[in-house]
Amino acid sequence: MTDRERWVRTMHFQSVDHVPDEEFGYWDDTLRAWHQQGLPTWVTDNAKADRFFGFARRETLPLHLGLLPPFETQILEETDKYRIVVDGNGVKSVVHKDGRSSIPHYLEFPLKTRADWEEFKARLDPHNPRRQPANWEELKARYAQRDYPLGVPCGSLFGWIRNWMGFEGVALTCALEPDWIHEMVEYLADFVLTVIDRAVRELDLDFAAFWEDMCFNKGPIISPAMFKEFLVPRYQRITDFLKQHGVDVVYVDCDGNINQLVPLWLEGGVNCMFPLEVRGGSDPWPIREKYGQEVLLMGGVDKTKLAAGREAIRAELKRLEKLVEMGGYIPHLDHRCPPDVSYENYRYYLRLKREMFGIPEPLPYEERVAMKQA
Amino acid sequence: MADLKELSEAVINGKMPKAEELTRKALDEGVEAVTIVNEGLIPGMLVVGEKFKNNEFYVPEVLIAARAMKAAMAIVQPLLSETDLQPIATVVIGTVRGDLHDIGKNLVAMMLEGAGFKIVDLGVDVPPETFIQAVQDNNADVVAMSALLTTTMPAMADTIEAIKESGLRDKLKIIVGGAPVTQDYADEIGADGYAPDAGSAVDMLKSLVAPPCCA
Repeated sequence: MTDRERWVRTMHFQSVDHVPDEEFGYWDDTLRAWHQQGLPTWVTDNAKADRFFGFARRETLPLHLGLLPPFETQILEETDKYRIVVDGNGVKSVVHKDGRSSIPHYLEFPLKTRADWEEFKARLDPHNPRRQPANWEELKARYAQRDYPLGVPCGSLFGWIRNWMGFEGVALTCALEPDWIHEMVEYLADFVLTVIDRAVRELDLDFAAFWEDMCFNKGPIISPAMFKEFLVPRYQRITDFLKQHGVDVVYVDCDGNINQLVPLWLEGGVNCMFPLEVRGGSDPWPIREKYGQEVLLMGGVDKTKLAAGREAIRAELKRLEKLVEMGGYIPHLDHRCPPDVSYENYRYYLRLKREMFGIPEPLPYEERVAMKQA
Repeated sequence: MADLKELSEAVINGKMPKAEELTRKALDEGVEAVTIVNEGLIPGMLVVGEKFKNNEFYVPEVLIAARAMKAAMAIVQPLLSETDLQPIATVVIGTVRGDLHDIGKNLVAMMLEGAGFKIVDLGVDVPPETFIQAVQDNNADVVAMSALLTTTMPAMADTIEAIKESGLRDKLKIIVGGAPVTQDYADEIGADGYAPDAGSAVDMLKSLVAPPCCA
Protein backbone atom coordinates (compact mmCIF):
# COMPACT_ATOMS: atom_id res chain seq x y z
CA MET A 1 0.00 0.00 0.00
CA THR A 2 1.47 3.37 -0.97
CA ASP A 3 1.42 6.42 1.29
CA ARG A 4 -1.27 7.86 -0.96
CA GLU A 5 -3.51 4.79 -0.91
CA ARG A 6 -3.12 4.46 2.85
CA TRP A 7 -3.95 8.12 3.50
CA VAL A 8 -6.96 8.21 1.17
CA ARG A 9 -8.35 4.91 2.46
CA THR A 10 -7.89 6.03 6.09
CA MET A 11 -9.81 9.22 5.35
CA HIS A 12 -12.64 7.18 3.83
CA PHE A 13 -12.93 4.70 6.70
CA GLN A 14 -11.62 1.87 4.52
CA SER A 15 -9.29 -0.89 5.71
CA VAL A 16 -5.57 -0.12 5.73
CA ASP A 17 -2.38 -2.00 6.65
CA HIS A 18 -1.73 0.69 9.25
CA VAL A 19 -2.57 4.31 9.94
CA PRO A 20 -0.40 6.97 8.17
CA ASP A 21 2.78 7.79 10.08
CA GLU A 22 2.56 11.58 10.46
CA GLU A 23 3.52 14.18 13.03
CA PHE A 24 2.78 17.91 13.34
CA GLY A 25 6.28 19.34 13.91
CA TYR A 26 8.44 21.05 16.53
CA TRP A 27 9.24 24.45 17.97
CA ASP A 28 12.66 25.75 16.89
CA ASP A 29 13.58 25.77 20.59
CA THR A 30 12.73 22.06 20.79
CA LEU A 31 15.09 21.07 18.01
CA ARG A 32 17.83 23.27 19.53
CA ALA A 33 17.33 21.61 22.92
CA TRP A 34 17.34 18.14 21.35
CA HIS A 35 20.67 18.87 19.66
CA GLN A 36 22.14 18.70 23.18
CA GLN A 37 20.27 15.43 23.78
CA GLY A 38 21.34 13.42 20.74
CA LEU A 39 19.41 14.75 17.74
CA PRO A 40 21.84 15.31 14.83
CA THR A 41 22.64 19.02 14.54
CA TRP A 42 21.71 19.12 10.83
CA VAL A 43 18.06 18.60 11.82
CA THR A 44 17.20 22.28 12.13
CA ASP A 45 13.65 22.52 10.79
CA ASN A 46 10.44 20.55 10.46
CA ALA A 47 11.10 19.30 6.93
CA LYS A 48 14.49 17.92 7.94
CA ALA A 49 12.98 16.39 11.09
CA ASP A 50 10.28 14.67 8.99
CA ARG A 51 13.02 13.10 6.87
CA PHE A 52 15.14 12.14 9.86
CA PHE A 53 12.28 10.48 11.74
CA GLY A 54 11.06 8.80 8.54
CA PHE A 55 7.45 10.01 8.45
CA ALA A 56 5.11 9.35 5.56
CA ARG A 57 5.24 11.81 2.71
CA ARG A 58 2.33 14.21 2.18
CA GLU A 59 2.53 17.43 0.19
CA THR A 60 0.56 20.57 -0.47
CA LEU A 61 0.72 22.34 -3.84
CA PRO A 62 3.09 25.31 -4.09
CA LEU A 63 0.44 27.96 -4.79
CA HIS A 64 1.16 31.46 -3.45
CA LEU A 65 -1.83 32.71 -1.44
CA GLY A 66 -0.02 35.45 0.47
CA LEU A 67 0.30 39.19 -0.08
CA LEU A 68 2.03 40.03 -3.37
CA PRO A 69 4.05 42.05 -3.06
CA PRO A 70 4.47 41.56 0.66
CA PHE A 71 5.03 44.60 2.85
CA GLU A 72 8.65 45.65 3.07
CA THR A 73 10.23 43.95 6.09
CA GLN A 74 11.93 46.43 8.37
CA ILE A 75 13.85 46.47 11.63
CA LEU A 76 12.66 49.63 13.37
CA GLU A 77 14.64 49.22 16.57
CA GLU A 78 17.21 46.75 17.84
CA THR A 79 18.69 46.17 21.28
CA ASP A 80 20.75 43.28 22.63
CA LYS A 81 17.49 41.70 23.87
CA TYR A 82 14.91 42.32 21.14
CA ARG A 83 14.06 43.73 17.74
CA ILE A 84 11.00 45.76 16.79
CA VAL A 85 10.15 44.66 13.27
CA VAL A 86 7.58 45.10 10.54
CA ASP A 87 6.96 41.78 8.80
CA GLY A 88 5.72 40.91 5.31
CA ASN A 89 2.10 41.21 6.49
CA GLY A 90 2.81 44.79 7.60
CA VAL A 91 2.51 43.83 11.28
CA LYS A 92 4.73 45.63 13.78
CA SER A 93 5.91 43.42 16.64
CA VAL A 94 8.58 42.81 19.24
CA VAL A 95 10.71 39.74 18.58
CA HIS A 96 12.99 38.54 21.37
CA LYS A 97 16.49 37.41 20.53
CA ASP A 98 16.87 34.80 23.23
CA GLY A 99 15.44 31.97 21.18
CA ARG A 100 11.90 32.12 22.55
CA SER A 101 9.87 31.02 19.59
CA SER A 102 6.47 31.87 20.96
CA ILE A 103 4.07 34.17 19.12
CA PRO A 104 5.68 37.64 18.93
CA HIS A 105 4.25 40.53 20.90
CA TYR A 106 2.21 42.50 18.41
CA LEU A 107 2.31 46.29 18.55
CA GLU A 108 0.38 47.50 15.51
CA PHE A 109 -1.62 46.03 12.66
CA PRO A 110 -1.80 47.42 9.13
CA LEU A 111 -5.48 46.90 8.30
CA LYS A 112 -7.49 49.56 10.11
CA THR A 113 -9.68 51.29 7.55
CA ARG A 114 -11.47 50.60 4.31
CA ALA A 115 -8.73 52.61 2.56
CA ASP A 116 -6.18 50.14 3.98
CA TRP A 117 -8.34 47.31 2.64
CA GLU A 118 -8.09 48.76 -0.86
CA GLU A 119 -4.31 48.52 -0.53
CA PHE A 120 -4.61 44.93 0.67
CA LYS A 121 -6.81 44.07 -2.28
CA ALA A 122 -4.08 45.32 -4.60
CA ARG A 123 -1.73 42.86 -2.89
CA LEU A 124 -4.33 40.11 -3.24
CA ASP A 125 -4.63 40.03 -7.01
CA PRO A 126 -5.55 36.39 -7.71
CA HIS A 127 -4.33 36.68 -11.30
CA ASN A 128 -0.75 37.62 -10.37
CA PRO A 129 1.28 34.99 -12.26
CA ARG A 130 3.62 34.61 -9.28
CA ARG A 131 0.81 32.80 -7.47
CA GLN A 132 1.21 29.79 -9.79
CA PRO A 133 4.25 27.51 -10.10
CA ALA A 134 6.34 28.47 -13.14
CA ASN A 135 6.93 24.80 -14.10
CA TRP A 136 3.26 23.80 -14.08
CA GLU A 137 3.32 21.23 -16.88
CA GLU A 138 6.41 19.55 -15.43
CA LEU A 139 4.82 19.47 -11.97
CA LYS A 140 1.59 18.06 -13.39
CA ALA A 141 3.46 15.21 -15.03
CA ARG A 142 5.36 14.50 -11.82
CA TYR A 143 2.20 14.62 -9.68
CA ALA A 144 0.47 12.18 -12.04
CA GLN A 145 3.08 9.60 -11.08
CA ARG A 146 3.01 10.26 -7.35
CA ASP A 147 2.51 7.67 -4.63
CA TYR A 148 1.85 10.16 -1.82
CA PRO A 149 -1.19 12.32 -0.96
CA LEU A 150 -1.28 15.78 -2.50
CA GLY A 151 -3.52 18.65 -1.44
CA VAL A 152 -4.43 22.16 -2.43
CA PRO A 153 -3.99 25.06 0.01
CA CYS A 154 -7.14 27.15 0.48
CA GLY A 155 -5.71 29.70 2.90
CA SER A 156 -8.06 31.29 5.35
CA LEU A 157 -11.26 33.31 5.38
CA PHE A 158 -11.06 34.71 8.92
CA GLY A 159 -7.49 34.02 10.06
CA TRP A 160 -5.97 36.23 7.38
CA ILE A 161 -8.16 39.17 8.41
CA ARG A 162 -7.29 38.50 12.07
CA ASN A 163 -3.58 38.53 11.15
CA TRP A 164 -3.93 41.86 9.35
CA MET A 165 -6.29 43.58 11.83
CA GLY A 166 -5.29 41.97 15.10
CA PHE A 167 -7.51 40.05 17.49
CA GLU A 168 -9.27 43.11 18.90
CA GLY A 169 -9.47 44.83 15.53
CA VAL A 170 -11.26 41.98 13.80
CA ALA A 171 -13.54 41.35 16.79
CA LEU A 172 -14.61 44.99 16.92
CA THR A 173 -15.11 45.12 13.16
CA CYS A 174 -17.34 42.03 13.29
CA ALA A 175 -19.54 43.83 15.82
CA LEU A 176 -19.46 47.36 14.41
CA GLU A 177 -18.95 46.98 10.65
CA PRO A 178 -20.42 43.61 9.63
CA ASP A 179 -20.89 44.79 6.03
CA TRP A 180 -17.16 45.31 5.74
CA ILE A 181 -16.45 41.84 7.14
CA HIS A 182 -18.87 40.40 4.56
CA GLU A 183 -17.07 42.32 1.82
CA MET A 184 -13.63 41.11 2.91
CA VAL A 185 -14.61 37.47 3.36
CA GLU A 186 -16.42 37.46 0.02
CA TYR A 187 -13.33 38.91 -1.66
CA LEU A 188 -11.10 36.30 -0.03
CA ALA A 189 -13.40 33.45 -1.11
CA ASP A 190 -13.29 34.69 -4.71
CA PHE A 191 -9.53 35.12 -4.41
CA VAL A 192 -9.03 31.52 -3.17
CA LEU A 193 -11.36 30.10 -5.82
CA THR A 194 -9.46 31.88 -8.58
CA VAL A 195 -5.99 30.92 -7.37
CA ILE A 196 -6.84 27.22 -6.90
CA ASP A 197 -9.00 26.92 -10.03
CA ARG A 198 -6.47 25.45 -12.48
CA ALA A 199 -4.92 23.05 -9.97
CA VAL A 200 -8.29 21.68 -8.85
CA ARG A 201 -9.49 21.22 -12.43
CA GLU A 202 -6.29 19.69 -13.81
CA LEU A 203 -4.99 17.52 -10.96
CA ASP A 204 -6.34 14.50 -9.16
CA LEU A 205 -6.03 15.89 -5.63
CA ASP A 206 -6.50 14.09 -2.32
CA PHE A 207 -7.33 16.92 0.07
CA ALA A 208 -7.74 20.65 0.56
CA ALA A 209 -6.34 22.62 3.49
CA PHE A 210 -7.71 25.69 5.25
CA TRP A 211 -6.29 27.30 8.37
CA GLU A 212 -8.12 29.63 10.73
CA ASP A 213 -6.75 29.61 14.30
CA MET A 214 -9.80 31.47 15.55
CA CYS A 215 -10.43 29.72 18.87
CA PHE A 216 -9.00 29.94 22.34
CA ASN A 217 -9.52 27.60 25.28
CA LYS A 218 -13.09 28.79 25.91
CA GLY A 219 -14.25 28.56 22.32
CA PRO A 220 -14.31 30.67 19.18
CA ILE A 221 -13.39 34.36 19.10
CA ILE A 222 -16.68 35.18 17.37
CA SER A 223 -20.06 33.65 18.08
CA PRO A 224 -21.31 30.64 16.14
CA ALA A 225 -24.05 32.96 14.81
CA MET A 226 -21.46 35.36 13.36
CA PHE A 227 -19.44 32.43 12.03
CA LYS A 228 -22.53 31.09 10.27
CA GLU A 229 -23.36 34.48 8.82
CA PHE A 230 -19.89 35.55 7.68
CA LEU A 231 -18.09 32.33 6.89
CA VAL A 232 -20.30 29.30 6.23
CA PRO A 233 -21.68 30.46 2.84
CA ARG A 234 -18.14 31.23 1.63
CA TYR A 235 -16.78 27.87 2.79
CA GLN A 236 -19.69 26.26 0.96
CA ARG A 237 -18.81 28.01 -2.30
CA ILE A 238 -15.22 26.79 -2.11
CA THR A 239 -15.97 23.26 -0.91
CA ASP A 240 -18.75 22.83 -3.53
CA PHE A 241 -16.16 23.58 -6.21
CA LEU A 242 -13.68 21.18 -4.60
CA LYS A 243 -16.26 18.40 -4.39
CA GLN A 244 -17.30 18.89 -8.02
CA HIS A 245 -13.71 17.98 -8.83
CA GLY A 246 -13.41 15.01 -6.49
CA VAL A 247 -11.74 16.65 -3.50
CA ASP A 248 -13.82 15.33 -0.61
CA VAL A 249 -11.36 15.65 2.29
CA VAL A 250 -11.17 19.28 3.40
CA TYR A 251 -9.36 20.02 6.61
CA VAL A 252 -9.08 23.12 8.73
CA ASP A 253 -6.14 23.88 11.00
CA CYS A 254 -7.56 25.59 14.07
CA ASP A 255 -5.98 25.57 17.52
CA GLY A 256 -7.93 25.94 20.74
CA ASN A 257 -11.42 24.80 21.60
CA ILE A 258 -13.23 24.18 18.30
CA ASN A 259 -16.26 22.29 19.62
CA GLN A 260 -18.83 25.00 18.93
CA LEU A 261 -17.57 25.44 15.38
CA VAL A 262 -17.38 21.79 14.29
CA PRO A 263 -21.05 21.57 13.16
CA LEU A 264 -20.69 24.83 11.26
CA TRP A 265 -17.52 23.74 9.50
CA LEU A 266 -19.32 20.52 8.57
CA GLU A 267 -22.20 22.61 7.23
CA GLY A 268 -19.67 24.58 5.19
CA GLY A 269 -18.23 21.38 3.72
CA VAL A 270 -15.05 21.37 5.81
CA ASN A 271 -15.02 17.81 7.13
CA CYS A 272 -11.63 17.25 8.79
CA MET A 273 -10.52 18.85 12.08
CA PHE A 274 -6.85 19.42 12.87
CA PRO A 275 -4.85 19.50 15.19
CA LEU A 276 -7.40 18.89 18.02
CA GLU A 277 -5.63 20.51 20.97
CA VAL A 278 -6.71 18.36 23.88
CA ARG A 279 -5.73 20.75 26.69
CA GLY A 280 -7.27 23.55 24.64
CA GLY A 281 -10.61 21.73 24.88
CA SER A 282 -10.72 19.79 21.59
CA ASP A 283 -10.66 16.09 22.37
CA PRO A 284 -11.06 13.84 19.30
CA TRP A 285 -13.20 11.29 21.16
CA PRO A 286 -16.29 13.41 21.90
CA ILE A 287 -16.12 14.88 18.40
CA ARG A 288 -16.15 11.40 16.85
CA GLU A 289 -18.90 10.26 19.21
CA LYS A 290 -21.07 13.23 18.31
CA TYR A 291 -20.55 13.37 14.54
CA GLY A 292 -19.60 9.77 13.68
CA GLN A 293 -18.18 9.25 10.20
CA GLU A 294 -19.30 12.71 9.13
CA VAL A 295 -16.09 14.06 10.62
CA LEU A 296 -12.43 13.22 9.96
CA LEU A 297 -9.74 13.86 12.55
CA MET A 298 -6.01 14.56 12.57
CA GLY A 299 -3.90 15.13 15.70
CA GLY A 300 -5.46 14.76 19.13
CA VAL A 301 -2.48 13.31 21.04
CA ASP A 302 -2.07 15.53 24.11
CA LYS A 303 1.45 16.93 23.80
CA THR A 304 1.62 17.68 27.52
CA LYS A 305 1.65 13.92 28.20
CA LEU A 306 5.02 13.62 26.46
CA ALA A 307 6.61 15.85 29.08
CA ALA A 308 4.93 13.86 31.85
CA GLY A 309 6.82 10.62 31.14
CA ARG A 310 6.48 7.10 29.79
CA GLU A 311 3.45 6.04 31.77
CA ALA A 312 1.49 9.10 30.70
CA ILE A 313 2.55 8.62 27.08
CA ARG A 314 1.39 5.00 27.10
CA ALA A 315 -1.94 5.91 28.71
CA GLU A 316 -2.52 8.68 26.16
CA LEU A 317 -1.88 6.41 23.19
CA LYS A 318 -3.97 3.66 24.77
CA ARG A 319 -6.81 6.18 25.11
CA LEU A 320 -6.76 6.70 21.34
CA GLU A 321 -6.28 3.08 20.26
CA LYS A 322 -9.97 2.36 19.52
CA LEU A 323 -10.34 5.67 17.70
CA VAL A 324 -7.49 4.71 15.38
CA GLU A 325 -9.18 1.36 14.75
CA MET A 326 -12.41 3.12 13.74
CA GLY A 327 -10.62 4.85 10.84
CA GLY A 328 -10.99 8.40 9.62
CA TYR A 329 -8.36 9.46 12.13
CA ILE A 330 -4.62 10.09 11.90
CA PRO A 331 -3.09 10.34 15.38
CA HIS A 332 -0.24 12.74 16.06
CA LEU A 333 0.67 15.43 18.57
CA ASP A 334 -1.99 18.09 18.98
CA HIS A 335 0.45 20.88 18.10
CA ARG A 336 4.16 21.36 17.55
CA CYS A 337 6.21 19.50 20.13
CA PRO A 338 7.32 21.98 22.83
CA PRO A 339 10.83 22.11 24.32
CA ASP A 340 9.79 20.75 27.71
CA VAL A 341 9.53 17.33 26.03
CA SER A 342 12.87 15.53 26.15
CA TYR A 343 14.30 13.91 23.04
CA GLU A 344 14.25 10.59 24.87
CA ASN A 345 10.54 10.92 25.67
CA TYR A 346 9.76 11.92 22.10
CA ARG A 347 11.61 8.90 20.72
CA TYR A 348 9.80 6.67 23.20
CA TYR A 349 6.49 8.16 22.06
CA LEU A 350 7.29 7.51 18.39
CA ARG A 351 8.44 3.94 19.07
CA LEU A 352 5.37 3.16 21.14
CA LYS A 353 2.96 4.81 18.70
CA ARG A 354 4.40 2.79 15.83
CA GLU A 355 4.31 -0.40 17.88
CA MET A 356 0.73 0.10 19.12
CA PHE A 357 -0.70 1.12 15.74
CA GLY A 358 1.23 -1.44 13.65
CA ILE A 359 3.31 1.18 11.86
CA PRO A 360 6.62 -0.37 10.71
CA GLU A 361 9.63 1.26 12.38
CA PRO A 362 11.61 2.99 9.59
CA LEU A 363 15.23 2.03 9.11
CA PRO A 364 17.72 4.42 10.75
CA TYR A 365 18.09 7.60 8.68
CA GLU A 366 21.65 6.81 7.52
CA GLU A 367 20.57 3.40 6.21
CA ARG A 368 17.64 4.92 4.35
CA VAL A 369 19.96 7.47 2.71
CA ALA A 370 22.47 4.76 1.80
CA MET A 371 19.73 2.61 0.28
CA LYS A 372 18.45 5.54 -1.76
CA GLN A 373 21.94 6.31 -3.05
CA ALA A 374 22.52 2.67 -3.94
CA MET B 1 -35.67 61.27 34.62
CA ALA B 2 -32.34 59.46 34.39
CA ASP B 3 -32.76 55.76 33.78
CA LEU B 4 -29.68 53.92 35.02
CA LYS B 5 -31.18 50.62 33.92
CA GLU B 6 -31.27 51.97 30.38
CA LEU B 7 -27.62 52.96 30.83
CA SER B 8 -26.80 49.39 31.87
CA GLU B 9 -28.60 48.14 28.78
CA ALA B 10 -26.60 50.51 26.58
CA VAL B 11 -23.38 49.08 28.06
CA ILE B 12 -24.59 45.50 27.68
CA ASN B 13 -25.47 46.10 24.05
CA GLY B 14 -22.25 48.00 23.33
CA LYS B 15 -24.09 51.19 22.34
CA MET B 16 -21.35 53.71 23.00
CA PRO B 17 -23.08 56.94 21.87
CA LYS B 18 -26.20 55.94 23.81
CA ALA B 19 -24.15 55.19 26.94
CA GLU B 20 -22.46 58.58 26.65
CA GLU B 21 -25.78 60.35 26.08
CA LEU B 22 -27.45 58.67 29.05
CA THR B 23 -24.47 59.38 31.30
CA ARG B 24 -24.53 63.09 30.42
CA LYS B 25 -28.28 63.20 30.88
CA ALA B 26 -28.01 61.61 34.31
CA LEU B 27 -25.35 64.11 35.37
CA ASP B 28 -27.46 67.00 34.06
CA GLU B 29 -30.32 65.74 36.16
CA GLY B 30 -28.16 65.78 39.24
CA VAL B 31 -27.43 62.08 39.62
CA GLU B 32 -24.09 61.69 41.39
CA ALA B 33 -21.21 60.30 39.37
CA VAL B 34 -20.65 57.49 41.85
CA THR B 35 -24.29 56.42 41.50
CA ILE B 36 -23.97 56.34 37.73
CA VAL B 37 -20.97 54.04 38.06
CA ASN B 38 -22.37 51.78 40.75
CA GLU B 39 -25.94 51.55 39.50
CA GLY B 40 -25.49 51.92 35.75
CA LEU B 41 -22.09 51.01 34.42
CA ILE B 42 -20.86 48.24 36.72
CA PRO B 43 -24.16 46.30 36.70
CA GLY B 44 -24.05 46.44 32.90
CA MET B 45 -20.55 45.00 32.72
CA LEU B 46 -21.45 42.32 35.27
CA VAL B 47 -24.18 41.12 32.92
CA VAL B 48 -21.65 41.13 30.08
CA GLY B 49 -19.29 38.96 32.14
CA GLU B 50 -22.10 36.55 32.97
CA LYS B 51 -23.16 36.31 29.33
CA PHE B 52 -19.54 35.71 28.28
CA LYS B 53 -19.24 32.95 30.84
CA ASN B 54 -22.41 31.31 29.50
CA ASN B 55 -21.42 31.57 25.82
CA GLU B 56 -24.18 34.06 25.12
CA PHE B 57 -21.57 36.73 24.39
CA TYR B 58 -18.26 36.32 22.57
CA VAL B 59 -15.24 38.57 22.23
CA PRO B 60 -16.82 41.12 19.83
CA GLU B 61 -19.77 41.72 22.17
CA VAL B 62 -17.46 42.01 25.18
CA LEU B 63 -15.20 44.50 23.43
CA ILE B 64 -17.98 46.80 22.32
CA ALA B 65 -19.51 46.69 25.80
CA ALA B 66 -16.16 47.58 27.39
CA ARG B 67 -15.78 50.38 24.87
CA ALA B 68 -19.20 51.79 25.81
CA MET B 69 -18.35 51.55 29.51
CA LYS B 70 -14.99 53.26 29.04
CA ALA B 71 -16.56 56.11 27.08
CA ALA B 72 -19.12 56.66 29.84
CA MET B 73 -16.44 56.36 32.52
CA ALA B 74 -14.40 59.05 30.79
CA ILE B 75 -17.33 61.44 31.35
CA VAL B 76 -17.83 60.68 35.03
CA GLN B 77 -14.20 60.08 36.02
CA PRO B 78 -13.27 63.78 36.52
CA LEU B 79 -16.23 64.13 38.87
CA LEU B 80 -15.29 61.22 41.12
CA SER B 81 -13.26 61.81 44.24
CA GLU B 82 -10.92 59.11 45.53
CA THR B 83 -13.31 58.22 48.29
CA ASP B 84 -16.27 58.05 45.93
CA LEU B 85 -15.20 54.92 44.21
CA GLN B 86 -13.49 52.36 46.38
CA PRO B 87 -12.43 49.45 44.18
CA ILE B 88 -13.33 45.98 45.38
CA ALA B 89 -9.61 45.29 45.36
CA THR B 90 -6.45 46.30 43.49
CA VAL B 91 -5.24 43.66 41.08
CA VAL B 92 -1.75 43.52 39.62
CA ILE B 93 -2.07 41.47 36.44
CA GLY B 94 0.41 40.25 33.87
CA THR B 95 1.52 37.45 31.58
CA VAL B 96 4.44 35.69 33.23
CA ARG B 97 8.12 35.81 32.32
CA GLY B 98 8.95 34.28 28.95
CA ASP B 99 5.39 34.46 27.63
CA LEU B 100 4.26 37.17 25.23
CA HIS B 101 0.58 36.26 24.87
CA ASP B 102 -1.85 38.86 26.10
CA ILE B 103 -5.30 38.19 24.68
CA GLY B 104 -6.59 36.13 27.62
CA LYS B 105 -4.93 38.40 30.15
CA ASN B 106 -6.51 41.48 28.52
CA LEU B 107 -9.96 39.90 28.61
CA VAL B 108 -9.61 39.09 32.30
CA ALA B 109 -8.38 42.63 33.03
CA MET B 110 -11.31 44.08 31.12
CA MET B 111 -13.86 41.94 32.97
CA LEU B 112 -12.37 42.66 36.39
CA GLU B 113 -12.20 46.39 35.72
CA GLY B 114 -15.80 46.37 34.55
CA ALA B 115 -16.80 44.59 37.76
CA GLY B 116 -15.24 47.27 39.95
CA PHE B 117 -11.67 46.09 40.54
CA LYS B 118 -8.72 48.47 40.09
CA ILE B 119 -6.35 47.02 37.51
CA VAL B 120 -2.60 47.54 37.30
CA ASP B 121 -1.69 45.88 34.02
CA LEU B 122 1.99 44.99 33.77
CA GLY B 123 1.71 43.65 30.22
CA VAL B 124 3.54 40.56 29.01
CA ASP B 125 6.82 38.78 29.83
CA VAL B 126 6.64 40.01 33.42
CA PRO B 127 9.43 38.78 35.73
CA PRO B 128 8.68 37.97 39.40
CA GLU B 129 10.47 41.07 40.69
CA THR B 130 8.22 43.32 38.59
CA PHE B 131 5.09 41.70 40.06
CA ILE B 132 6.51 42.26 43.56
CA GLN B 133 7.48 45.86 42.87
CA ALA B 134 4.01 46.59 41.46
CA VAL B 135 2.33 45.02 44.51
CA GLN B 136 4.39 47.28 46.78
CA ASP B 137 3.93 50.42 44.68
CA ASN B 138 0.16 50.00 44.41
CA ASN B 139 -0.54 48.37 47.75
CA ALA B 140 -2.22 45.64 45.75
CA ASP B 141 -4.49 42.94 47.15
CA VAL B 142 -4.28 40.47 44.28
CA VAL B 143 -1.71 39.14 41.83
CA ALA B 144 -3.23 37.66 38.66
CA MET B 145 -0.93 35.68 36.37
CA SER B 146 -1.53 34.34 32.90
CA ALA B 147 0.42 31.81 30.80
CA LEU B 148 -0.46 30.30 27.43
CA LEU B 149 2.42 27.89 27.14
CA THR B 150 3.26 24.76 29.08
CA THR B 151 6.87 25.94 28.96
CA THR B 152 6.07 29.22 30.70
CA MET B 153 3.72 27.83 33.35
CA PRO B 154 6.66 27.18 35.72
CA ALA B 155 7.22 30.95 35.81
CA MET B 156 3.94 31.13 37.78
CA ALA B 157 5.44 28.89 40.46
CA ASP B 158 8.66 30.96 40.40
CA THR B 159 6.67 34.15 40.90
CA ILE B 160 4.75 32.68 43.84
CA GLU B 161 8.04 31.57 45.40
CA ALA B 162 9.50 35.05 44.94
CA ILE B 163 6.38 36.61 46.49
CA LYS B 164 6.77 34.27 49.49
CA GLU B 165 10.43 35.24 49.85
CA SER B 166 9.51 38.92 49.72
CA GLY B 167 7.23 38.46 52.73
CA LEU B 168 4.15 39.63 50.81
CA ARG B 169 2.39 36.29 50.38
CA ASP B 170 0.11 36.54 53.42
CA LYS B 171 -1.39 39.86 52.40
CA LEU B 172 -2.11 38.78 48.84
CA LYS B 173 -4.48 36.58 46.93
CA ILE B 174 -2.86 34.98 43.91
CA ILE B 175 -4.91 33.80 40.95
CA VAL B 176 -3.79 32.06 37.78
CA GLY B 177 -5.22 31.24 34.37
CA GLY B 178 -4.42 30.44 30.76
CA ALA B 179 -5.06 27.65 28.29
CA PRO B 180 -2.76 24.97 29.75
CA VAL B 181 -3.40 25.90 33.40
CA THR B 182 -5.72 23.71 35.47
CA GLN B 183 -7.16 23.76 38.98
CA ASP B 184 -4.74 20.96 39.88
CA TYR B 185 -1.79 23.00 38.69
CA ALA B 186 -3.03 26.04 40.58
CA ASP B 187 -3.27 23.92 43.74
CA GLU B 188 0.14 22.39 43.14
CA ILE B 189 1.93 25.76 42.94
CA GLY B 190 0.00 27.23 45.86
CA ALA B 191 -2.22 29.72 44.05
CA ASP B 192 -5.43 30.80 45.80
CA GLY B 193 -7.62 30.64 42.74
CA TYR B 194 -8.00 29.49 39.17
CA ALA B 195 -10.65 30.32 36.60
CA PRO B 196 -11.13 28.70 33.21
CA ASP B 197 -12.28 31.91 31.53
CA ALA B 198 -12.51 35.66 31.97
CA GLY B 199 -16.17 35.66 33.03
CA SER B 200 -15.59 33.08 35.75
CA ALA B 201 -12.53 35.01 36.97
CA VAL B 202 -14.78 37.80 38.27
CA ASP B 203 -16.90 35.46 40.39
CA MET B 204 -13.88 33.56 41.62
CA LEU B 205 -11.99 36.67 42.64
CA LYS B 206 -15.02 38.23 44.28
CA SER B 207 -15.40 35.13 46.42
CA LEU B 208 -11.72 35.30 47.35
CA VAL B 209 -11.59 38.94 48.37
CA ALA B 210 -15.05 39.34 49.88
CA PRO B 211 -15.10 39.92 53.62
CA PRO B 212 -15.66 36.68 55.62
CA CYS B 213 -19.21 37.67 56.44
CA CYS B 214 -20.20 37.91 52.80
CA ALA B 215 -18.10 35.28 51.05
